[in-house]
Order: sequence, then structure tokens, then C-alpha cells
Amino acid sequence: MANLTKRYGTRVAVDDVSFEVGRGEVVGFLGPNGAGKTTTLRILAGVLGSTSGSATVAGHDLVRASLEARRHIGYMPEAVPLYPEMRVVEYLRFRAELKLVTRSQRARFVDEAMDRAGVLEVANRTIDHLSKGYRQRVGIADAIVAKPPVIILDEPTAGLDPNQIRHARALVRELGREHTVVVSTHILSEVEACATRVLLIHHGRLVAQGATSDIRAMRQAVAVDVTVRGSFAAADQALRCTAGVASVEPLETTEPFARFRATFEGALSTEDRPGATERIVNAMVGAGLGVSEVRAYGGSLEDVFAALTQDPGDLE
Amino acid sequence: MRSFWPIYKREMFAFFVTPLAWVLIVAFLVVQGMHFFLVVDHFAHQVDITSDETPLAAFFGNTVLLYLVLFMLVPPMTMRTFAEERRSGTVETLMSGPVSTASVVLAKYAAALTTYVVMWIPTVLYVVILGRIGGLDGRAAASAYLGVLLVGAGYLALGTCASALARSQFVAMIWTAFALLALFIVGMGEFVTREGTLFHDVCVHVSVWGHMNDFASGLVDSRHLVFYGTLIVLPLFIATRAVEAWRWG
Repeated sequence: MANLTKRYGTRVAVDDVSFEVGRGEVVGFLGPNGAGKTTTLRILAGVLGSTSGSATVAGHDLVRASLEARRHIGYMPEAVPLYPEMRVVEYLRFRAELKLVTRSQRARFVDEAMDRAGVLEVANRTIDHLSKGYRQRVGIADAIVAKPPVIILDEPTAGLDPNQIRHARALVRELGREHTVVVSTHILSEVEACATRVLLIHHGRLVAQGATSDIRAMRQAVAVDVTVRGSFAAADQALRCTAGVASVEPLETTEPFARFRATFEGALSTEDRPGATERIVNAMVGAGLGVSEVRAYGGSLEDVFAALTQDPGDLE
Repeated sequence: MRSFWPIYKREMFAFFVTPLAWVLIVAFLVVQGMHFFLVVDHFAHQVDITSDETPLAAFFGNTVLLYLVLFMLVPPMTMRTFAEERRSGTVETLMSGPVSTASVVLAKYAAALTTYVVMWIPTVLYVVILGRIGGLDGRAAASAYLGVLLVGAGYLALGTCASALARSQFVAMIWTAFALLALFIVGMGEFVTREGTLFHDVCVHVSVWGHMNDFASGLVDSRHLVFYGTLIVLPLFIATRAVEAWRWG
């Protein structure tokens, strides 16, 4: 995918995005809502044309050899649109036929897809009557039914309950063994849970890409919020000479506890931060203040983005 | 074109599994039954039987009833085709498959046309009844049905086009109804414009009323065939371009 740009009138939805996804990779497409994830995925799936730039799937250009390229893609759109009047198995048979699965293989492919996506128990139910979780899974079954080499899932866990999210993530990881998978999400932990590589997109621009572990490293805490039994003054006193702590500020709390935020020194490296946290706790214990809670502050997706958009070259 | 068949099957499924097709067919047959009754009743009480008009010609031609029912039936038959897929987003899944735009348009159109034909099939019974009671010109009956098929095919093509252009089913329905009505009214110009003027000729050429009268009396005019060919191909072509344009929207 090279120099892809998509404009809607004067609004630029995707701005000069280029990336490559290798065979068997699970790539997480990460960005806040409205960042251009869906637009990029729709272009990649051949549903939307780009204003400029080109995209190639499995060696087929998405514009010049559109049909051939689309044969190699299984795509699940964001809202998982399905035909409500059809039964699950009918719908998947229709999709398999549409995706040129031969008649002799069709029944088997549909069964396998239903089995993997976990919709066998609702095979004969009308899609209209399915819960959100099952609809999502039918969408995934549709994406994998023709066993395409490339699978594109737009927000596969949106609107699911925690149990279903776990199931969906496991499924994505499993799909990654045989297929190239591109998943979009606005939740950082989601990418960490199933992707090997991350593409960060913000305001239509690709701000960073790298292995999931690199992104995880960026997600470091900038401070710790500590709750102790005692007074803030005592805690503040004890932290004056603790190495690595830049500042201490009180937070709201109820007696007899004191809560404060100890911000790390900016120069502190990622490896040194746990040590600083330990020193903070030791200082508290040394001062006779019982520590009841220590919580890392910062390191959210927003913080990562804030860091990246200020200095986009940071990651490489 | 390999995607034509699965999409066609799904469209037929959507027509007949939802009550829509059945409601339309029942409504259509009730109206046609009343229409047939009136025609037969009229001829049964006719004193002057030297008139060259046959019940068959009266059933298919020289009557506004045929069009009235089509004005009501065609818009709801075609309004869904694209507008609904667009609203629900299923068009995205559909177009992400290895399907060509032309095959999507043709499959959806063919399904609507098939439903239309199914709607008319029971009326063959009327023709059989007419044949049993009095004489029947088989070729006139065939040409009358050809006319019905062509008029319907043209109307459905217009409806499919409107559905591809409109954002909602309702708008598609209104557009289709007005397009059909406008076409009919322009045809009516045949009777109010002065003969010999260009406008009069245009009105005659597009007059669905006039075409059906000819077809009903067994006259198959090649100019009519060309007209309906255009009325089918042009809207479908526009629909294909419109669907293609969504991709670049």
C-alpha cells in the first residue's frame, strides 16, 4: 500500500499512508476514533477507491485487477452489516458462493467457518434474532469462509462483553497462524493482546509503526498515584530525597488516608521506572506510612499519541 | 458475471421470504380480478357486438387500470434494491467480494423482473377463460403479454436506477412513482398536442398508453421494441455507474 490518500471534498481522511503487511502477520491498526482507520481498511478491502496512491493485495492491484484482488480478501466492516432475513447458514452459503467457493467445497467451508467463529449453535437462527456478540462472530465467519490469504477486520471487538472480547482476540490470534490479518481498534491493550505489529494512525497520517513490544515500551507510566495511611505532609517530606521523583502533588482523598501523585523525572529511562516506584514505596514504609495502593498513571493510548504527534520520528 | 447467480438467488429469497412480494402479488391479483370482472361484465351486456374491440384488447389496452396498478406496484418492488443495502451497510460486504458492479445491478434487476413475471402468471387464467367462452386470437394474447413484459421491464429499470441514486428507500419510491407518472403524462400529450409538430411525435413515441393499445391488438411495432430496449438499458447503465461512483464518493 503506497502513498494512499483519500479526500472527501476538502477534508483529507487518509493522508499519504504507506505500509506493507507480510504473510502471516497480525497487524493492529491503532488510532482514536475518526483517525482514518476505517477509511484505510475500506480502501484495502476494495470497497472504496483512493484519491491517489495504490494498493496491492497478494500481488493484485486493487484498482487494475480489482476482482482478482478482492478474491484474496475477507473483509468484515465496522458495523457488521448482515441481511437480517436470512438464517446464519443460508447467509454464509450465499457468501461462500459469492466468493467463488466451488459447490463441492461449499458445505465444508461453511461448516468450518461456523465452527471457528463459534456460531454452530445458532446456524439455523435468523440473523435478525441474534445478539450483538453472535452477529459479530457471523461477520468473522463471513470474512474467513472462503479461506482468503488476507483477512481485514474492522473493530472486531466493538460492542462485545469481556468474555466475548477474550474469545474474539483468541480467534484473531489463531487466524494469524494461517492468514495475514489486519485488525483495527482504538484500544491499545487490544493490539497488545493479538497483534505482532502495530500501525498507529492519527488524523489520517501514519504516525508510527513497529513491533507491538516497541509500542508497549512507549506506554510507560509518567507518574504513580500512591495512597498511604497518614498525612500528605509526612509523605511529601519522605519523598524529598527519593531519587527519580521530580515532583509530588496531593490528590483528593478521605481521612485517614493521604493520596498523592509522584511524577517521575523526565530523564528516567524505562528500565529505571520500576526501581523508582520501589524507592517511593520504601520511603513510605520507612516513614511509617502504610501503603494501601500504588497505581501507575499515564501510558494510555492518548499519552502515546501525545508523545508521538509532538515528535513523530521518535519511534524509528 | 459469476456473481450474478448467487446475488439473483439472494434477491429472490429476500423478495419471497419477506411478506413484500406476497403482499404485492395479492394486491395485484385482487385489482386485476376486479378489472377482469368489469371488462367481462361490460362485454356481456354489450348489445352491439359488431364492434371490433375484443375483451382481450380491453383488458390490456385502452384502460388506465393497467398503469394505475403498475404505478403502485413497481416503486415498492424496486425501492429496496440498492437504497436498503446502502442504508444497512450490506453493500459494503457485497462489494468487498469478487463481484462486478454490472453483475450486481443485473442480478437485482433480474430478480425484480422475475417477481413481476410471477405476478402476472395467474392472469393467464383470464385469457384461458376468455378463450373457452368466446374465440381468442392467440397471437394477440402473446403480443399483449409481450407488451406487459416490456412495460414492466422498462418501469423496473427506472425503479432500479432510482434506488441506486437515492439515499433512502422512501426517496427511491417517490422518485420512481414520479418518473413513471411523468412518462405516462408525456405520452398523454399525444391527445392534446397538435398533430404534425415535433412535440406531438415525441409524445406518440413515448406513449406507454399507445404502445399497450398496439400490443393488446396484436401489433408488434419495432419502434416500440427500440423504445423499451432504451428504457431498460439506459437506466440500468446509469444505475451501474451510480453504484460504481459510491466507491469513489
